Amino acid sequence: MAEKILEVKDLVVEFRTDRGRVTAVNGVNFDVHKGRTIGIVGESGSGKSVSALSIMRLIPNPPGEITGGKILYRGEDLLNKPIEAMRTIRGNKIAMIFQEPMTSLNPVFTVGNQIEEVLKLHQPELSKAQRLEKSIEQLKLVGIPSPDKRIHEYPHQLSGGMRQRVMIAMSLACEPDILIADEPTTALDVTIQAQILELMKKLQTELGMGIIMITHDLGVVAETCDDVAVMYCGQIVERADVKTLFSSPKHPYTKGLMESIPSFDSTLGKKRDRLPTIEGMVPSLFDLPSGCNFQDRCKYVDDKCRGSQGDPQLEEAASGHSVRCFHPLNA
Amino acid sequence: MNIYAYIFRRLLYVIPVILGVCAIIFLIFNVVAPDPALIILGKHATAEQVVEIRQQLGLNKPMLSQYFDIVRSAFTFDFGRSWSTKQEISEMIKAGAVPSATLSFPAFFISTILGISISLLVAFYRGSMFDKVTVVGCVTLMSVSSLAYILFGQWFFAYKLGWFEISGYDYGFPYFIPYILLPAIIWVMLSVGPDVRFYRTIMLDEIYQDYIRTARAKGLSERVILFKHVLKNAMIPIITYVVIQIPFLILGALLLESFFSIPGLGSITLNAINSSDFPVIRAMTVLSAVAYIIFSVITDVLYTLVDPRVRLS
Repeated sequence: MAEKILEVKDLVVEFRTDRGRVTAVNGVNFDVHKGRTIGIVGESGSGKSVSALSIMRLIPNPPGEITGGKILYRGEDLLNKPIEAMRTIRGNKIAMIFQEPMTSLNPVFTVGNQIEEVLKLHQPELSKAQRLEKSIEQLKLVGIPSPDKRIHEYPHQLSGGMRQRVMIAMSLACEPDILIADEPTTALDVTIQAQILELMKKLQTELGMGIIMITHDLGVVAETCDDVAVMYCGQIVERADVKTLFSSPKHPYTKGLMESIPSFDSTLGKKRDRLPTIEGMVPSLFDLPSGCNFQDRCKYVDDKCRGSQGDPQLEEAASGHSVRCFHPLNA
Repeated sequence: MNIYAYIFRRLLYVIPVILGVCAIIFLIFNVVAPDPALIILGKHATAEQVVEIRQQLGLNKPMLSQYFDIVRSAFTFDFGRSWSTKQEISEMIKAGAVPSATLSFPAFFISTILGISISLLVAFYRGSMFDKVTVVGCVTLMSVSSLAYILFGQWFFAYKLGWFEISGYDYGFPYFIPYILLPAIIWVMLSVGPDVRFYRTIMLDEIYQDYIRTARAKGLSERVILFKHVLKNAMIPIITYVVIQIPFLILGALLLESFFSIPGLGSITLNAINSSDFPVIRAMTVLSAVAYIIFSVITDVLYTLVDPRVRLS
């Protein structure tokens, strides 16, 4: 196993709202290894983005607050660091790209200016000319044609895919240990999506960083991730390496997600079955049921799941394969 | 397309706008308003007197020619003579512009700088006690009538404490300063409330944008984020708000000038309204319309400087 660079331990994030406190992330654990990609999958509101933002300590406070757990980066707890120390890590050791390439770049500064800004901040020893040179190099690295011209352009002159490439160029300018990608391809066309994922994979092999890939798209997971954590209602419900997870999902929710992917055969074949779906809705974080959070949507539900023996815990069902379920499925 | 060609083209658009504005002014003053001859002469005028005064005032000319008189005045600033004082109106405006400008420009400048600075501070400490107190303070300042500030200021600070002149004006620098101090302070008090509230909304709007989150993720300090990323984006609405107020500064402050006996354009306008001095009122209307149009052109040009998304086409 590759070197462990980041360890998220029992992370708890709460939000204060008009209707009271909600726990958006409830005891999440995962590790990031050098050169490997961990995928965090889940529906909207499952807490995957909040977990990612917590690592950067970018949870807007108020209303959000990290109320428990540890985030160990190379053994040091990021949650205990003063904000000034945290700023030397952001964009430098741990970088992040976002879901909205159209709005994530500042519209009134040139692309070059925005890349150089990171370099100026974290590598003050570089001269102005060196910064410019390095910025152009970064744009070349992410496959932007005629980078020496593009560097003087404004974000609105670039397409969505190009902007996401610029974001990647910017985030990798200081060669970070970890790249957090929060749904980096959700807003892009499928063809562009494939290009961006391909690019990220290529850069990962070149630079050796660990990637946290936040997504709701199992296709993206299958294509890019080494390990996967499935989140539901602020908790990880299943965690395994990608092959194991896809071949033998143990949590009924994970299985439901897999089954609801339209397959090529089912849409083109003679037999046009209805696509299976997961019945019901995600429960409101304001009133989660006691016991398993997935009980109302699960076909294997019994008294145990309804809380007669407490909440289910994330337990290792097989080597390297953990699941939070009283009735884990057998492959 | 270069910026000069853009300005030139933008200025060409001014012509139809001025024609339209003049048409509205013409309708209001020469068609809808009561016959000025009767206003001047009163109810007991004889027919000959009416004919004579109509001739004097040029009211017997064809409608179209009266309309073009207004249009011409918008370009030449030759507004004829006042009915009540018989002075050249352009001379009156020149004389009134100086006292108005010595009050309005410093007051406006200070209140704008103050408004932007306070709103940046408030945006920095958003959600804190300081933010809340400032917002409440702004609303309080705004809610008190301007008359209360004027009367209290004149009675307490000028009369009782003797810190300021109660009213009046003296020409030339620095002699006017004691006279404009109190009205300028009142001006700032009156405008800083709405200004801070407006700028604060703009700043907070920017602070929650995605690119600000990106800036934080880059490791930038909150100070750099505020002064570089937020402020440059906020400049776009701020410019609109600031520049479009300038024409009104030129016209002077009606209430402040008349209470403090400052012989500016505001006083001239008020006197003209009181004495139904149509040519003066009309001159001020035309002047404000022209100023407004010119400053909206300036706003557009400034946009191209701060916002790269505004293409010159």
